[in-house]
Amino acid sequence: MDPEQKKLRDIVTGYDGPRLRIMEVCGTHTHEIFRLGVRSLLPKTIELISGPGCPVCVTPTSFIDEALYLATERHVTITTFGDLVRVPGTHRSLADARSLGAKVQVVYTPLDAEKYAREHPAEAVVFLSVGFETTTPGACLAVQRAKAAGITNFSLLTANKTMPGAYLAMADACDAYLYPGHVCAIDGTSVPEDLAKRGIASGVVTGFTAKEILTALAVIIKKTREGKPFFVNAYPRVVRPEGSPAAKKLVASLMEPCDAEWRGLGIIPASGMQLRESYASFDARKKYNIPKMEGHANPACRCGEILQGKCKPPDCPLFGKICTPEHPTGACMVSHEGACSAWYQYGGII
Amino acid sequence: MESQASTARITLAHGAGGRKTRELIEQVFARHFKNPEFTADDAAILPLGGKKAAFTTDGFIVSPWQYPGGNIGKLSICGTVNDLSCMGARPRYLSCAIQIEEGCPMADLETIAASMEQTAKEAGVRIVAGDTKVAGRGQVDHVFITTTGIGEVLPDACPAGNRATPGDAVIVTGDIGRHGCAILLARKDFDIKAEVTSDCAPLWGLVASLFETVDALPHAARGDLHVLRDATRGGVGTVLYEIAEESGVGIRLQESGIPVQPAVKGVCGMLGLNPLYLACEGRLVVFAPKALAPALTAALRQTTYGKEAAVIGEVTAENAGRVVVETEIGTETMLPEPTGELLPRIC
Repeated sequence: MDPEQKKLRDIVTGYDGPRLRIMEVCGTHTHEIFRLGVRSLLPKTIELISGPGCPVCVTPTSFIDEALYLATERHVTITTFGDLVRVPGTHRSLADARSLGAKVQVVYTPLDAEKYAREHPAEAVVFLSVGFETTTPGACLAVQRAKAAGITNFSLLTANKTMPGAYLAMADACDAYLYPGHVCAIDGTSVPEDLAKRGIASGVVTGFTAKEILTALAVIIKKTREGKPFFVNAYPRVVRPEGSPAAKKLVASLMEPCDAEWRGLGIIPASGMQLRESYASFDARKKYNIPKMEGHANPACRCGEILQGKCKPPDCPLFGKICTPEHPTGACMVSHEGACSAWYQYGGII
Repeated sequence: MESQASTARITLAHGAGGRKTRELIEQVFARHFKNPEFTADDAAILPLGGKKAAFTTDGFIVSPWQYPGGNIGKLSICGTVNDLSCMGARPRYLSCAIQIEEGCPMADLETIAASMEQTAKEAGVRIVAGDTKVAGRGQVDHVFITTTGIGEVLPDACPAGNRATPGDAVIVTGDIGRHGCAILLARKDFDIKAEVTSDCAPLWGLVASLFETVDALPHAARGDLHVLRDATRGGVGTVLYEIAEESGVGIRLQESGIPVQPAVKGVCGMLGLNPLYLACEGRLVVFAPKALAPALTAALRQTTYGKEAAVIGEVTAENAGRVVVETEIGTETMLPEPTGELLPRIC
C-alpha cells in the first residue's frame, strides 16, 4: 500500500473520539465506499450514512407513474437513462410497460434523446429529465438545441433537483457531509461554505479515488477535533469556488427553481428545477396536460428511511428476500449508486 | 413453475454470460439434453478410437462486425479454438455455418473468409466443412457465424471447471477487458476517443506451453493444470464466479495485481464499468497449485499472447462460491456477481 494511503488509513482507523456520523451525499461516493470496503476500516464510533444523492433513488413513484401515463395513454416514446426503466411505479415499471408494447428507448445523454426526436419526426419524444446539478445542464442544452432547430416533437418530463435544499433538510441527520465532488464542480463551494459559517452543517468536498475518500475522512476527523463548524475543499483539482459559470448560466436561462418531491424526504421547497414559461412547449407536463399522480410505493419498502439514514438496508423486511438487483421493489435497489444495491452486492449476501 | 415457464420471456440479460445465462441453460437446455457426455465445460470430452476428443460449438453475432484488432471471422475461429484448448485439446478440424443478410457486400465476406483462414492457419486447424444461408434484410444483422470444432486431448490432460482446489493460484494470461472495451468504443455510442485493440487471439500455442512447462518440472504433472477457462462474455469476473461455484471453493483476488491497460482503465472509469466484467477473447484464467505459479507465468510470458500474464489471486476453502477482493486500501470486499445485461452482442 502506498505510504500516504497508509497514513490516511491509520488516521481513520485510529479515531477514538465521540460518535461521528458522516453522510456521503453522492451516489458515486456510496458505490466507491462499498467497493473499497471503507466501512470495514471504521471504528464503531464512526458511522457512514448513505444520503439522498442517487438521482434514481430520490425520484418519487409519482414521477414513474407520470412517465407510464405518457408511454401507455398518450403513446409517447420515452427516452431515458437505463436505470429508470426498472424503477417500480405504483402498478408497474417502464420495463413492464415496454414488454407490453410501450416505446421506451434507453439513451446515455439528453442530447441523444434530442437526436432521437430529430431522427424520428413522426414520434412524440419525451426525455425523463432526472438528476442533480451535474446532469441538468445537459438537459438544458438538449432543449436549447431542439428550439434552435425548430424541433417540436421533443420535450422533458422534469424531476431535476438541486442539492442545497437537501443539505438543509438533512443537516440534523449527520455531523458532517462528504459533499458531492461533481455537484460542487458545477455549483461551486459557496453553499457549503455558507452552511459552515452559519453553523448549520460541516463537511468536506472530495473526489472518488481511494486516496481522495480517505483524505476527506481524515480531514473530517481532524476538523471535528478542533470543535468548530468547517468546510474544506479536498478536491481542488476539479472543484473551484465559483464552480462552472457557463453551466450555471445555461441552466438559469432555461430553468427556474420549483418545489420538488424527494422519495422519503417529501417536498423540499425550491429544491427542484423546471423549465421557464418561455420554454413551456418543451415541458411535457404542460404539453400533455398530465393529471396529478399520487404515486404509492410498496408500503413495506423502507427506501425513504434509508435515504434519510434512519435505517440500514438489512433493516428492511424486503431487502435481499423479495427485493434484489434482479427484481427490485424499491428505487435504492435499482441503481448501482443506490444504498440497497451497493449493500447487497458488496455486503456478502449472495 | 409450469405457468412461470409459459409466461417468461428471454431478455438480453440471458445472453450476457452471467447467472441468467447459466439459469437459462440449466432450466431449459440441460433439463432436456440429459446424457452422460453433456458438459458444463467449454467442450465435451468424447472417447474416440482409444483416444479422447474434445468437441464444441459456438455462435458469433458481434456488432459491429469489425473492430480494432479483429472481425467476426477471426473471432469465430478464436472462440472455438480456445474452447478446445481449454480442455487440453489440440484443435484439429473446424466446420462453419454462415448466415448472411441480404444486401451484405461481397467484399465484406471476402474480408471475413480471409481472416478466418489466416486465424485457422495460425491456430493449426483446418476448416473442413461449412454451410451458407442467406436471410432477408433485417432477419440477420450483416453476418452471423457458427463454428464447430474437434480437438485431440493431450494424454493425461484433464482441466475442468470443478477441479479448482484450495491452495491454487489464479493466473490470467494477459491484461483484461480489451475486447469488450474495443467493441464498446467501435459502436460509437459514446463520444470517447481511446486507442484500444481487441485481445482476440487463438490460444493453443499458449496452452501448449503450459503443458510443456509441467512436463519439464520434476514434481508436476499435466493433471496439475486444474482449470483452464477462456474469459469471454462476462469477463474474468464471471469466470471466477463460475469456477467458485462449480468447484465449491472461494477465490481471493488481489485488486492491485490485476493487469489492465491504462486506456481500458480510463474508459471504465468514465463509464462506471469494472474491467473484470468486460469480455476478453484472447485471455485464459488458469488454476494450478501455487508452487507451480512462478514457472507457469514465466512460460506464459515467453508466448506471443501471454506477455502480461500475472497471478491475480488464490483459491481458498472458506467463502465457498464467492469471490473476495483485497482492495488497494487493504480491506476485503465481495466482488459483485454479474447478473444482468452488460454489453449485448460482443461475441
